[in-house]
Amino acid sequence: MGDSSSDTVVGLGTRGRAIRLLAAAIVLALTLVGTVWGQDTAFPVGPFRMYATRDGLDAPVSSTRVDGVNTAGVHIAIDDSETGLRRAEIEGQIRRLIADPSLLGLIADAYAARNPHKLPLSRMEVVVRRYELRDGARTGDYTETVLAAWDADPPPETVS
Amino acid sequence: MNRVSEWWTAPQPIARVAAFRVLAYLFIPIDVLLTTAWVQWHGDVSTKLYQPLIVGNLLHLPLPTHTVVVSVQWSLIIAAVLAATGRAPRLLGAIVFVLYFEWMIIAMSYGKVDHDRFAYLVALAVLPTVGVARWRDRGRSEAAGWALRCIQVAVMLTYFFAAWSKVRFGGWDWVTGATLTRAVIRRGTGLAEWTLDVPNLLTTAQWLMLGLELLSPLILLARSDRARIAIVTFLVGFHVMTYAGVTIIFLPHVVAILSMLPWERLHRQVVPAVPITATLDDGLVRGGSP
Repeated sequence: MGDSSSDTVVGLGTRGRAIRLLAAAIVLALTLVGTVWGQDTAFPVGPFRMYATRDGLDAPVSSTRVDGVNTAGVHIAIDDSETGLRRAEIEGQIRRLIADPSLLGLIADAYAARNPHKLPLSRMEVVVRRYELRDGARTGDYTETVLAAWDADPPPETVS
Repeated sequence: MNRVSEWWTAPQPIARVAAFRVLAYLFIPIDVLLTTAWVQWHGDVSTKLYQPLIVGNLLHLPLPTHTVVVSVQWSLIIAAVLAATGRAPRLLGAIVFVLYFEWMIIAMSYGKVDHDRFAYLVALAVLPTVGVARWRDRGRSEAAGWALRCIQVAVMLTYFFAAWSKVRFGGWDWVTGATLTRAVIRRGTGLAEWTLDVPNLLTTAQWLMLGLELLSPLILLARSDRARIAIVTFLVGFHVMTYAGVTIIFLPHVVAILSMLPWERLHRQVVPAVPITATLDDGLVRGGSP
């Protein structure tokens, strides 16, 4: 009994043990289902697919960015913290942005809200730069494409 | 079944939980304000760009308006700091878990989901179940054992299921692809750029990554403190190297990994010998059940 405190073991009751084992089993099962059949929307039990896609050795590597033109007509590169959306989030929603470029206007609003001391944007573009690869090595060549664009004041003929 | 049950609840030092809990809860203000500060940016983004996850729909979570984001952020930070004191561990711990979970929903519902905090979420979920735990506690408990086991399993699964995803989405030939090349081109640092000029190097690294991820269940076999310290050193080393190369670090996951360290020794070194008369009280109080 003297130094019993150093090897005291506090056990669990039958109920406490059963609940814990059941909880572990449920979370394991959900995570397994998410991994085998789930998509990203199953977070936090979805597939852990960071860097899980295979990129071909000769397929170009895409890198997306957001560019803007401010009301003074100056072309600027816009980084994640300025719009509130990370690059990967822009990429993740790119189909929506292409289908409905007015969403880029909302991102321009977020830019204005987050940068009150800067001039607002009159144009936003999502630009993808594709670096050419050959056998997994860079050739040094790349192309750039504007995937989606939004203008603050659309030309009169497009206003309905 | 008995052996399974024993494995999940093998007793572990209560002081280890007491120490790890401080680390896990104090990490929250760092995470929220510094290392993943981008989550709060979502408060400035239109809710039209919010794309709810399954869990967000199931639980009818509120739209992350600016007010919702700011309220969750500050109540989470306050709750975490209070929980780090060790007071009301079940109540405060549960509040922290719920708020952090909501914080993660706000984080991951805008078109990109990260996988760097599964084990950390599990840690926040299980820590409150241990109840009162003090640094000076010399005993072990099955409740502490279960909690630490859950975190360890979650750390292991983060690797093992990541390998599964690579095979599922990338195919078995993921290893011969250009995934790491892509990562270095997109976000490589000065320390990693040179690897692009050695094509086989990054492919070899991919073989190693998938191989080690598939071997991750070995983590569960570590019994001695030495083995666990070695595993923690290796894993943390891997994540630090990745950070140096492509500036991605699974910081919450690294915090979860640290739960495997024998933190209880720290206290024993600082306060080496406690006189028996002092521990007797402790022993008598808890000695009630044989």
